[in-house]
Amino acid sequence: MSKRKLARLLQTPAVLLLLVWMLVPLSMTLYFSFIRYVLNNLRRPEWTTPALSNWRGFGNYEFVLDAKDFWFAVQNSLFIVGSILFLTVTLGVLIAILINRAFPGRGIVRVLLISPFFVMPAVNAVLWINMILDPVLGLQGIAIGGINDLITLLKDAPLVGWFFSLWPTLEPISFRATQTSAYAVIIMVTWQWTPFAVLIFMTSLQSEDQQQKEAAVLDGAGAWSQFRFLTLPHLGRPIAIVVMIQAIFHLSLYAEIEIVSRGNGNKNLPYLIGEFANNNIGAASATGIFAVILANIVAIFLLRMIGKTLMD
Amino acid sequence: MGRIVLENVTKKFGDLEVIPPLNLTIEDGEFVVFVGPSGCGKSTLLRLIAGLEEVTSGRILIDGEDVTNIPPSKRGLAMVFQTYALYPHMSVRKNIAFPLRMAGMNEAEQNTRIEAAATALNLTDYLDRKPGQLSGGQRQRVAIGRAIVRDPTAFLFDEPLSNLDAALRVGMRLEISEMHKKLKTTMIYVTHDQVEAMTMADKIVVLQSGRVEQVGSPLDLYREPRNAFVAGFIGSPKMNFIDGEKAGTLGAHTIGVRPEHVQICPKGEGDVWQGKVGVAEHLGSDTFIHVHGIDGCDPMTVRAGGEVKINHGDTVYLSAQMDQIHKFDSEGHRVS
Amino acid sequence: MAIVAETNRFSKTSRTVLAWLVGLLFFFPIFWMILTSFKTDAVAVKPEFLFSFTPTLDNYINMTENYDYWRFAANSVITSVFATIFTLVVGIPSAYAMAFNPSRRTKDVLMWMLSTKMLPAAAVLYPMTFLTKNFLGIFDTHFLLILVLSLINLPIVVWMLFTYFKEIPREIIEAGKMDGVSTWGEVREILIPLAWGGIASTALLCFIFCWNEAYWTVRLTTTEAATLSKLIEGNRAPEGLFFGRLSAVSAAAVGPIIVLGWFCQKQLVQGLTFGAVK
Repeated sequence: MSKRKLARLLQTPAVLLLLVWMLVPLSMTLYFSFIRYVLNNLRRPEWTTPALSNWRGFGNYEFVLDAKDFWFAVQNSLFIVGSILFLTVTLGVLIAILINRAFPGRGIVRVLLISPFFVMPAVNAVLWINMILDPVLGLQGIAIGGINDLITLLKDAPLVGWFFSLWPTLEPISFRATQTSAYAVIIMVTWQWTPFAVLIFMTSLQSEDQQQKEAAVLDGAGAWSQFRFLTLPHLGRPIAIVVMIQAIFHLSLYAEIEIVSRGNGNKNLPYLIGEFANNNIGAASATGIFAVILANIVAIFLLRMIGKTLMD
Repeated sequence: MGRIVLENVTKKFGDLEVIPPLNLTIEDGEFVVFVGPSGCGKSTLLRLIAGLEEVTSGRILIDGEDVTNIPPSKRGLAMVFQTYALYPHMSVRKNIAFPLRMAGMNEAEQNTRIEAAATALNLTDYLDRKPGQLSGGQRQRVAIGRAIVRDPTAFLFDEPLSNLDAALRVGMRLEISEMHKKLKTTMIYVTHDQVEAMTMADKIVVLQSGRVEQVGSPLDLYREPRNAFVAGFIGSPKMNFIDGEKAGTLGAHTIGVRPEHVQICPKGEGDVWQGKVGVAEHLGSDTFIHVHGIDGCDPMTVRAGGEVKINHGDTVYLSAQMDQIHKFDSEGHRVS
Repeated sequence: MAIVAETNRFSKTSRTVLAWLVGLLFFFPIFWMILTSFKTDAVAVKPEFLFSFTPTLDNYINMTENYDYWRFAANSVITSVFATIFTLVVGIPSAYAMAFNPSRRTKDVLMWMLSTKMLPAAAVLYPMTFLTKNFLGIFDTHFLLILVLSLINLPIVVWMLFTYFKEIPREIIEAGKMDGVSTWGEVREILIPLAWGGIASTALLCFIFCWNEAYWTVRLTTTEAATLSKLIEGNRAPEGLFFGRLSAVSAAAVGPIIVLGWFCQKQLVQGLTFGAVK
């Protein structure tokens, strides 16, 4: 057997498996998105089978585009992803620079810092929404209760009492309402993914040219100029990659939404698809196709960037 | 024995022809050096002989036997790589033993051979270390050891000294030459360094773009380069090429004269050129003077004695040994 | 950098303090979860017992009774271990071929593999449910989860192994060829020993990803093959009643993985950025 043939043979299982995995379900989704297909309908039982006679053309797409939920989900998906990206990248750069230089206990700090990334998403969500963000029983509730008690106490104090009596009583925020639960998701995912950004930026900072920095010091560059003109450009590529990888991961964010927001109206695209899939498969499929398109826009940029470094 | 013959060998990578049809004979026991600028195909040629690349067409014969379609390990050749290519997870002993083990040799015989090779290469104290714990020179020795123990019909060296520092390189150069004198096995050595080629070779093969430009002994190549490329490549500092009027009077398109064949002479005593000194490099034994302002050749390099008193900006008069002038036509071929 | 370092001795101390603060802040939620897991459910919600309480192991002892923890954990272990093995069995030959016998299409194949990773899972949710439930009858089985977990991790695994194999110098493989090693010998004597570290950390990372997966494991199981992700998701809102026991089961679900994660920080960068950041 020639080398070429052997090489092709060795790749076959992986390629074949992924080909089936990608093509079969996706083409089914594509097909379902063009037919009327629901799981339960007493008046029109013929719609409950995925038959070609239920052809609806772009009807499902029109239905989805007209649905208020859809636009809310798109908007929310983008809002959540955008906020997470902004927070993780900003925090990531700052923390990476902070711990890039040697200091006592750096190894331990690194370990502490990376830990959130390995927490399973379901635990992450349950932990934050209950034990930390809960307005009464969580740390938030306890902290705000404590502050309020302290203020009440200080109101009766002599001399400074008048000052504290001007303070309002603090209200804890419920993170289970439609809008605030999106904030909760942003907080917990930022907590989980900032370590990822830090790790990548640190790896990249390690490869920063130290001689170039020394040359900049001799040229009279201060700390800010070094950051602005050397470090930030050096981090440009890793930042782009962190943004794109996270965008792809977070566009399909599911467990956190499911746990934090179930039933309260907050949703993103994957969650909306899940809701539609309870009955209206046609709409779920059309929404799925939109999600694929959205992810592809990001993926094309990412793949192009990765492809450049692939073979060298 | 180790007579290697290449018959009309060609190599293409896709549509790119890197070796046009090439014929070459390497006699048994010869030390042959392939030399040329980077990308000239010298390494590819060596890998074709080794069997690491398949020839596109043509035949390779070793001692009369056609090995064109025989896998590398069955050709009886040993190779020393530029990066040494030692197995990092094996000790020096295991590295050297590896080809013997693969050949199914018994352990006693293996050990005798390893000990012999280790003694010859001064590696006895390092046999139990890993390659990572050795210096560059020692790694190079291990790589050579791994080649020697197989008792090959020919050794192939792929730029083996280019990763060593200058001082070590000179030492290893001598050792490899001595090894060849002792073993009398055919060696094929690839380098881009013409000094290595000149000092080590019995026969030099100068390559450019996959073509053999000239084959010959070092001094043949120095004395009678077949074309301007070989003339410029062999010899250090480089030969001076002069075109224009002066070349025309001698019936050539270009003439070449080596720095060591140009002299500084007093004005009016047979001087051919006049120019101003740019930089004079004093090496102690010699002085290389770069002279500017000469028609058709700027700067012209002159090799003078070590003690010569010449400074930047001086005007000098130069003459050449007329019997050492090489003449080339407009295509660079030698004209006699 | 010596010049800068000497002039800023104060800033060095404050940097150290700040760095430690950030590290502790990020770790705090995990610490809090572990701390709560040692409180009884009643104590866990009382502010006066925030840090001073009598620790109890009851929550861990009663994990089986409260949540049937070990059944879910066993499912997680089975699916993650076998998915990792299967992924490596399929991934190693493929990455080997691509790294040592690249053709003109190798790059495209790799890129295409990655692109399958970028397909949003939700888009094919219903077809997957339909196929596995009505058509193949493998819904809520270990087999299905192992298959799906393998498929979603295969691109990353192939990619990581490819970058490891590519770092092995070609010349070493060629030296082996000159020394007379067979194809199988090349794999056993040279490739595996040299790539061992890379293969191990790839396996580790793949295992972690399988363990933490929370879309398919939730949507494609009900009871039989349900993993820890499903268990935790099912107990999402205890309304304060069970903070202690929920913390214990959560800590038991993530603890081992966090420790494993510490060992493959470096590989994580390579694995998740597909070698684009070094």
